Amino acid sequence: MQKINRNVVLALLSLTSLVFLLFQLCYYKFYLSQKNGAAFSKARGSQSGQDSTRWHVVRKFLGLISSHNIPVYLIDPLILGLVDKDIEQIRSSPDGPSPECKYFCAPRDFTTFALLDKTWKHDVGLFRTAEKMGFQWLKIVNKDPRLDGMDDLSGMEIPLHYIFKLASHAIHLVVFYERSGNFLWHGPLRLKQHMDRKFVPFRKLHFGRYPGAYEKPELLLVSIDDLKVQIPKNPSSFLEEMSHSRFLECRYREARAFFQLYPDDASLDAVEFRKKAKSLLHLAALTLNNLGVKFWLSSGTCLGWYRQCNVIPHSKDVDLGIFIRDYKADIIPAFQKAGLPLKHKFGKVEDSLELSFQGEDDVKLDIFFFYEEDDHIWNGGTQAKSGKKFKYLFPKFTLCWTEFVELKVHVPCETLQYVEANYGPEWKVPVKTWDWKSSPFNVQDNGVWPIDEWDNVIQIY
Amino acid sequence: MEEWKPNPPVKPHKKRSWYLAWKYKLMNQRALRKLCQTGAVLFLLVTVIVNIKLILDTRRAAYEEEEESAQDYDDEMLNVEVPRHPVNNKKVLDVEVYSSRSKVYVAVDGTTVLEDEAREQGRGIHVIVLNQATGHVMAKRVFDTYSPHEDEAMVLFLNMVARGRILIFTIKDEGSFHLKETAKNVLKSLGSQVAPFLSWRDMWTFVGKKGGEVYGEKHAKSPALSTWGDPVLLKTEVHLTSVEDAECHWPDTELNRRRKRFCSKVEGYGSVCSCKDPTPIEFSPDPLKDNKVFDVPVAVIAGNRPNYLYRMLRSLLSAQGVNPQMITVFIDGYYEEPMDVVELFGLSGIQHTPISIKNARVSQHYKASLTATFNLFPDAKFAVVLEEDLDISVDFFSFLSQSIHLLEEDESLYCISAWNDQGYEHTAEDPSLLYRVETMPGLGWVLRKSLYKDELEPKWPTPEKLWDWDMWMRMPEQRKGRECIIPDISRSYHFGIVGLNMNGYFHEAYFKKHKFNTVPNVQLKNVESLRKDNYETEIHRLLGEAEVLDHSKNPCEDSFVPDTEGRVYVMFIRMEQEADFTTWTQLAKCLHIWDLDVRGNHKGLWRLFRKKNHFLVVGVPSSPYSFKKPSSVTPIYMEPPAKEEGAVAVPAVAAAEQT
Repeated sequence: MQKINRNVVLALLSLTSLVFLLFQLCYYKFYLSQKNGAAFSKARGSQSGQDSTRWHVVRKFLGLISSHNIPVYLIDPLILGLVDKDIEQIRSSPDGPSPECKYFCAPRDFTTFALLDKTWKHDVGLFRTAEKMGFQWLKIVNKDPRLDGMDDLSGMEIPLHYIFKLASHAIHLVVFYERSGNFLWHGPLRLKQHMDRKFVPFRKLHFGRYPGAYEKPELLLVSIDDLKVQIPKNPSSFLEEMSHSRFLECRYREARAFFQLYPDDASLDAVEFRKKAKSLLHLAALTLNNLGVKFWLSSGTCLGWYRQCNVIPHSKDVDLGIFIRDYKADIIPAFQKAGLPLKHKFGKVEDSLELSFQGEDDVKLDIFFFYEEDDHIWNGGTQAKSGKKFKYLFPKFTLCWTEFVELKVHVPCETLQYVEANYGPEWKVPVKTWDWKSSPFNVQDNGVWPIDEWDNVIQIY
Repeated sequence: MEEWKPNPPVKPHKKRSWYLAWKYKLMNQRALRKLCQTGAVLFLLVTVIVNIKLILDTRRAAYEEEEESAQDYDDEMLNVEVPRHPVNNKKVLDVEVYSSRSKVYVAVDGTTVLEDEAREQGRGIHVIVLNQATGHVMAKRVFDTYSPHEDEAMVLFLNMVARGRILIFTIKDEGSFHLKETAKNVLKSLGSQVAPFLSWRDMWTFVGKKGGEVYGEKHAKSPALSTWGDPVLLKTEVHLTSVEDAECHWPDTELNRRRKRFCSKVEGYGSVCSCKDPTPIEFSPDPLKDNKVFDVPVAVIAGNRPNYLYRMLRSLLSAQGVNPQMITVFIDGYYEEPMDVVELFGLSGIQHTPISIKNARVSQHYKASLTATFNLFPDAKFAVVLEEDLDISVDFFSFLSQSIHLLEEDESLYCISAWNDQGYEHTAEDPSLLYRVETMPGLGWVLRKSLYKDELEPKWPTPEKLWDWDMWMRMPEQRKGRECIIPDISRSYHFGIVGLNMNGYFHEAYFKKHKFNTVPNVQLKNVESLRKDNYETEIHRLLGEAEVLDHSKNPCEDSFVPDTEGRVYVMFIRMEQEADFTTWTQLAKCLHIWDLDVRGNHKGLWRLFRKKNHFLVVGVPSSPYSFKKPSSVTPIYMEPPAKEEGAVAVPAVAAAEQT
């Protein structure tokens, strides 16, 4: 009896062991397939050269969207890249059936679309229909940045991104908002704690790592791979825009803290100066944008944006930076045409160029040209009476968009380094007496202009 | 998975036969066998442990990887979302209710939901409505039944409360003086035994379910006229019902979900929460043809008067040409109930942390709301500004759509307002008529973005200045001689009785009899004549055709104006200089129109209607229209009555109203 029992026990144990072994193998298989799933399916896809899942998902999605009258447009950079190559053909035959699936069948995890917030009514029915069609969806909301700059307002959170997933393909829908300054803005994609991190491979998304700023696009209705879809009229310029669309929000919280320490100047003079500086900046931006010259807020204007999200009332001028490679000879006539006479011109295109235009009532527009070296960027200054040259050094920077006095403008992305280089670690403390030759933290003597060049490099009007 | 299927049946079989052979061979080697067996068991155990560990390991690895992959996209702040109300599965609520001369309080499960011990405030019957399933407070009201008519308001309120809700009553100070029979009967029907006999300065508490059981009642009689009853404290238990029983069974639509959310939270909104035949919360007014204000944002400025807001939004959403997407409600303070109302109608709402006090608080709220509106709608050139205590006329947007181009093109205009300060039942007649006035009426108006951004916003009164925003806007430094366009018959109606500068008496005297347009699709007459220069031509034409009234009669008397219809009459009053309004104020007083400050004038001319005749008043000699006065006519002069002490203060405060 005892023996049998023992045998039975042993047999049972062996069985359990086997079951476990099986389980272990299954688990491994499952785990591996999960991990490399994408790779596997990609391999399969490229063998056949087609992935009809994607096409079907996109078609279903477009059906869903059109049944709710929501105008979306395609902004998927990979597809737009392909489309751009054939753009002439696509434009000329908007309805022709396509012989092969060229665009929507390349196997990818996502297809990205854009939605203008104001063109739809936040209709909840959409999501219920989506669920009925088999989509799983995820909504990413966050604070409304258009209210962020305001003291003590708390609005409802706004949707920034939607992801609709069906089978192995996902649709990333980026919501664009209109902002002051006549541009479109999309938010960053940030997951809240309770959210499913594995819903889609978020890392591979093309939009959402940073917020972005775009011009309002002109759209074109085309038929590609037998799907009718809106695309930006000029895909290549959209892609170009996308590559440097990163947007920086002003640091409103810090600005509020700054005003707690140093209350804002609300005098009539300050109000008047701000008004003039704003209109001067608007005029300058219009002029330079028309010429296609890229510029950014520099010196005091940049400091004003970074420190207090406003024009510094005692700064008395507006400062812009332009890379010397973007210099155009038309700049001076264009400003003169816009009603801003040239006040002085220092330096030359090869060295230390600086332009100054006279705005309304003593408000001056200074344009500094920046020269790029291997490890730093600099701009120059010139003292008119002595011919002395100065040099202001900055660490290398790239440009980001921001919103400032109802304008979409560039600022250095690495703003803190830029401001610190210019104003030193004490940049947070307002300074009212400022000498451009000695006050800047990054000023260096740079010799003297040769006398025979003075007529050319020191021009005062 | 599949390739593993054939194996299991084979393996044990093999193993078994092998094992049997082995067993027979080593039958007698007990020790060895035992050892082998133990070894096998141990081995099996180890397998199991290794397996489990492996599972745990792979799981952790997978989790870590996914953590890493999404890291860039993690929210910076760890928003640990705490549910607002802990889930409460308790079936019984402990309720404590206290009533006394100077203090009342109500505690539910140890949480104080009402506490009022302020002096000279909160007199009367306090009523609290609890949800019978969750125990949440759905409404809190106080009815000062010491004063007349408040008992009627209480009856109205109690009738609106849904059956099954839990009602808590308690009296502070005095609550019986004007508690009439009808109200007592309603209380009796709720199950109160004491209510019919409540008398002067009695203390009373009562807890019961509407249309159901009574959970407790306590009463302390006042022993004498000069003293109050002893404080009473009622402690009782209330049994909660299931959530299903507490809700209505409306068809499951998006609208009804909103309705359900609303109705399970708040009470006192009547038929919107009726189970059988709920009143709609979506209105589909006819769209306007060629609507020029469809894309103009509408800012609704609100405080904590959710019932007003409810009424206001209903009328706004019923107006023809309304675009709900452009509406934003700005709530001054973190009040939940106004937000619930906003959500009920599917609109967007923004809460604003109050800054400063009194008038300055209102003024800061206005500034924040206007700035936010233009931020949210950067394309907008205008914004419509409304307040929570206004009814909106059915043709409000039609009126604006027909006139807004003037505001865009005519630099001499300050605003378009839906409100005519002098448009009372007896002084307004023509819904298609517009005026230009030098004052800024507010109460439903359109603001130009450039005016706000370039002029008003930068120098808006700071929080420490206790100014009324509207008074500030009317100051010459801001208005700079510009005028507003108003209709003869107002397109808004001010129904608010409770407010910062408002009370029942004041409302009755100055707002109740205001005329309000109810005719849809009014075609405005001769809108182009409202432009700066055209308007002068128009006035000259009017004065040319006007008949001069008999200046020997008393202008306050009805007989001053002949019993005709559709005629134009003119009278001349004395007005020594531009700011001399002595006679006008007296005339306004006796005509029972707005007399607290000067409103509705245009270059010393007022336009209104009397007995269905257009009635013009010209101030002589200050007004440029004085030349129309026949030399035989002496302008009427009316002397202000000798001022009584103390009477001065009332108009001073009252003039600040209109916010």
